[in-house]
Amino acid sequence: MSIKRLLLVATVLGLSAGAAAAQDTYKVGILTPNSGTFAKLGQQQTWAYQIAADEINEAGGILGKKIEFVIEDTEANPKVATQKAEKMAQVDKVGLIIGTVSSGVTLATGPLAERHGVNVITSTSWSDAITMDKCSPNVFRVNARASQMANALAQWLGQNFEGKRITYVGPDYEMGRNTVSAFKELAEREGLVSATEIFAPLETPDFSPFFGQIRASQADVLFAPMAGEDSVRFFTQLADFGLNTQYRLTGGSGTITPAELPAIGDAAEGFTFATGYTASLDTPENQEFVAKYKQRSDGQDPTLYAADAYGILYLVKAAAEKSGSLEPAAVREGMADMTWDTPQGPKTMRAGDNQAIMPMYVVQITDGAFEVIDTVDGEIAIGEDLCTRW
Amino acid sequence: MVERELTAATPPVSRRGLSSLNKVALTAFLGALLFAVWAVVFEQPFYLGLATEALILGGLAMSVDLLLGYCGLLSLGHALFFGLGAYMGGLLLLHYTGSFWLTCLLVVPASAAIGLVGGLIALRSSGVYFALITFAMAQVVEKVVFVTNEIGLESPRGAVDVGGSDGFQGVPGVEVDLLLFSLDLRDPLSFFLLTLTLVSVTYLGLYWLMSTPFGRTLRALRTNERRLPHLGYAPRRFKLAAFVLSAVIAGFFGALYPMLRGGAFPELLTFGMSGDAVISVIIGGTGTLIGPLIGTALLVFMRSVVGSELGDLHVIIVGLVFIAAVIFFPKGIVGYARAYLDRPKPDRGRTDNDG
Amino acid sequence: MVDLFTYLQFVLAPQMVTGLVIGVAVILMALGLTIIFGLLDVINLAHGAFYALGGFVLITLLGLGLDFWVAMVLVPLLVLPAGLVTERLLIQRVFHSGDRHTLTLLLTFGLSLVMEDLFKIIYGPDPHRPQPPISGAVELLGMYLPTYRVFLIFFGALLIAALSLFLFRSDFGARIRAAAYDRHMAASLGIQVKSVYSWTFALGLAVAALSGVLLSPIYGVYPDMGHGFIFLAFAVVIVGGLGSIKGAVVAGLLLTQVFVLASLVMSPVWADVLVFATMVLVLLFRPQGLFGSLAHG
Repeated sequence: MSIKRLLLVATVLGLSAGAAAAQDTYKVGILTPNSGTFAKLGQQQTWAYQIAADEINEAGGILGKKIEFVIEDTEANPKVATQKAEKMAQVDKVGLIIGTVSSGVTLATGPLAERHGVNVITSTSWSDAITMDKCSPNVFRVNARASQMANALAQWLGQNFEGKRITYVGPDYEMGRNTVSAFKELAEREGLVSATEIFAPLETPDFSPFFGQIRASQADVLFAPMAGEDSVRFFTQLADFGLNTQYRLTGGSGTITPAELPAIGDAAEGFTFATGYTASLDTPENQEFVAKYKQRSDGQDPTLYAADAYGILYLVKAAAEKSGSLEPAAVREGMADMTWDTPQGPKTMRAGDNQAIMPMYVVQITDGAFEVIDTVDGEIAIGEDLCTRW
Repeated sequence: MVERELTAATPPVSRRGLSSLNKVALTAFLGALLFAVWAVVFEQPFYLGLATEALILGGLAMSVDLLLGYCGLLSLGHALFFGLGAYMGGLLLLHYTGSFWLTCLLVVPASAAIGLVGGLIALRSSGVYFALITFAMAQVVEKVVFVTNEIGLESPRGAVDVGGSDGFQGVPGVEVDLLLFSLDLRDPLSFFLLTLTLVSVTYLGLYWLMSTPFGRTLRALRTNERRLPHLGYAPRRFKLAAFVLSAVIAGFFGALYPMLRGGAFPELLTFGMSGDAVISVIIGGTGTLIGPLIGTALLVFMRSVVGSELGDLHVIIVGLVFIAAVIFFPKGIVGYARAYLDRPKPDRGRTDNDG
Repeated sequence: MVDLFTYLQFVLAPQMVTGLVIGVAVILMALGLTIIFGLLDVINLAHGAFYALGGFVLITLLGLGLDFWVAMVLVPLLVLPAGLVTERLLIQRVFHSGDRHTLTLLLTFGLSLVMEDLFKIIYGPDPHRPQPPISGAVELLGMYLPTYRVFLIFFGALLIAALSLFLFRSDFGARIRAAAYDRHMAASLGIQVKSVYSWTFALGLAVAALSGVLLSPIYGVYPDMGHGFIFLAFAVVIVGGLGSIKGAVVAGLLLTQVFVLASLVMSPVWADVLVFATMVLVLLFRPQGLFGSLAHG
């Protein structure tokens, strides 16, 4: 047998890999979780990318090139994600990777993107570090980071709850801890009094063991930046114990989205948060986006993640057209200080730290609907540029 | 009823030429080289990197096989040693030294110390208790790593931060000084060849060790533990030595991981990692040392290449193949390959032409 | 400052009651594990997957328009045959091997991979949460407790009592214990040991599925929902003694109280470490656990 046959197989494999590299399309890698806790976010983003790509392709593509997706599952595990990102860069030869959700995965793709000269744009990771102390010239973020959300909410709380006690309940991982520590500092600056900090492990089945500490803290405001399944369990269990009405409930942008609201129901009433997007925004651009999204999602309203994801390809289009090329370096150059329109309002990609500046909305859940009760200017919410790498 | 047992390799056959086990190993080694040639000719650095990762994970599987195949101890938490090795290796390179050899020199004794503590706890028990304790131990340590940031160490590059749930990134590319020349591990081929060499050396070292009195005692212990004390041996000491050695191997190959992927994360310590190592051992062939390496290569191929095509479905396939292997092919791939090689041959005047 | 009495009433006591609910959940899982081990010497790593199976069968039945209580009775009955098949197809095949412990552990591990992935493919990523069949809350000694949780504590206790009665007072229970004590002796006395094995294995899984049903209104239904408790359940089984019913109950109550009370003052991660340390300590001094085996009660 047959070294000959082996070589033949090898040749075929090699040729097919070579053929794939030739292209008149613009290849974009969607590196997103399709399994595990974050699978829903992956799905929402992918829907939004497909809507944007269909629109752009119908209008002639970017610089005449049609957008083509390569989709890989990260399993929300950096070990898998780094491997898949390498594959996208080296085998599929994509110039852009989007869709990373957990901050750990986004951070892990940074050095890799630099090594292979590709760009990473995230629309979901919140950890401040991504565009602060661990910033990378090849990594961009179009969504509001934790501190933008915190700035906006803290400002609103300062106006309405000055001098009151606040307890923090965060999920016990980097994003949760960052969110709480950043928010605590801001809330105290705005005149609130910190009572207790509690961290619950991710995927905690039963939150009631923490209710003792919550009760003991005698707070007026509860800040709980949970997400997904954890949100559903936390708020329904809080209501089971009659605790939901005893505090002003607040949290992160992604704590209660249209995906979680039906499962949480009445237990979500009064929950207040700051966000870069809510489907109830009353602008024609947004209404058009909502209508298209609902067609794809079987009637679900777009979430924050979907809206932020939708804007990415338009940013890339604008940047490529400005610099006249889809080469990653040219796109990077084009994105610097670029302002582009999204259903969320205009965003600006700050060149100093690759972080988008955007208006922030304070939203309250009233009678099962998301109601915008205040708006905070993007320049106020963004905070200083703390990236020092370039 | 057919006896299904996870049997260790029989002692090396002292015929002329190579034992059947080493024939398989040699074939695998040549196969790996052939693969490298293919990857270089057709410019497939990604697959070289993937194969390097498979070899590194293969090191973990070998360490699991050392316990399961030779001592009858099923560890469900070996990712603990691998993951801690990765953290130590990555942090050393990131904060203290650029030297490959110094990193190895420090990770090996540290892994031995961790293995000693783990072994002293886990070897209080045996059988299923041992499996459950190792499982629980890895779970607990993983949770602690998951919430740990600064560990109170100061380095020339500032406070050492292990990064909690995010882990850490940015481990620089390493150059390995080999006296006459140096290997740049940022080059995928160099990294692959280095890892292949390290895996081969580990294999040969363990193979030799298993033919020494130490190895024979382990096997005796596996066969009949109760009889050993009567012969003047202290079983627990031998088991502990094997456990520590196994932890060192896992930790050492763990330390290579951040050099390849640039960082380490708590996911490296999860049950998924330990479980994959066990699956590789069973599919490849328990107690053969080379089997786990082949099993790992197959599993990485399934998870990465087939997984990209089939999505979630590939996990079911892995699960079913694993179940089938346990029930129908308990000897694993290598076990059957050996049976084939060792089959009685028609006597043709003892010509020995398989060099 | 909070005074001591208020702390007791509003913090400590509700915490302990809460711990009882988790205790019931963990004991139910541990009971299934321990019965299966006590008789068959099998560590069932797929136990969490069967717990999830209970939840998924429940939401399927609710989707067909069935009442929660009807579904609650049906689910264990539906899982029972699945348990029989699993035992025949997987466990029996390696039962007579010298490496039975390791092999069955590996087989059930493989089974859990397949099952959890099947759940993902069939039911998708959306979270499912059946409504609790009993809503509202009760005031008990000044504590405000969800009625369904109070129900769970009592119903769980009842279930545990019924299981013990079944094992220690019924005819079939006697056969199970006889087979656990000495399978050859039992066989020569005319007990169909093989079928006793199958039914006991299925019974353990049905108990797991029933716990899945009972707990899903609180914890939700998702593919790896078993992972949250399996660590505690294994710790309970080890501390209580593999195969001991009494051990599972005592250790279950003990460890969950340690866990919830520790969660009051420290990060839950360290509460886990504490549970693990307790387990190691018990193993150091009583390697066989606190109580004896199934055969001895």
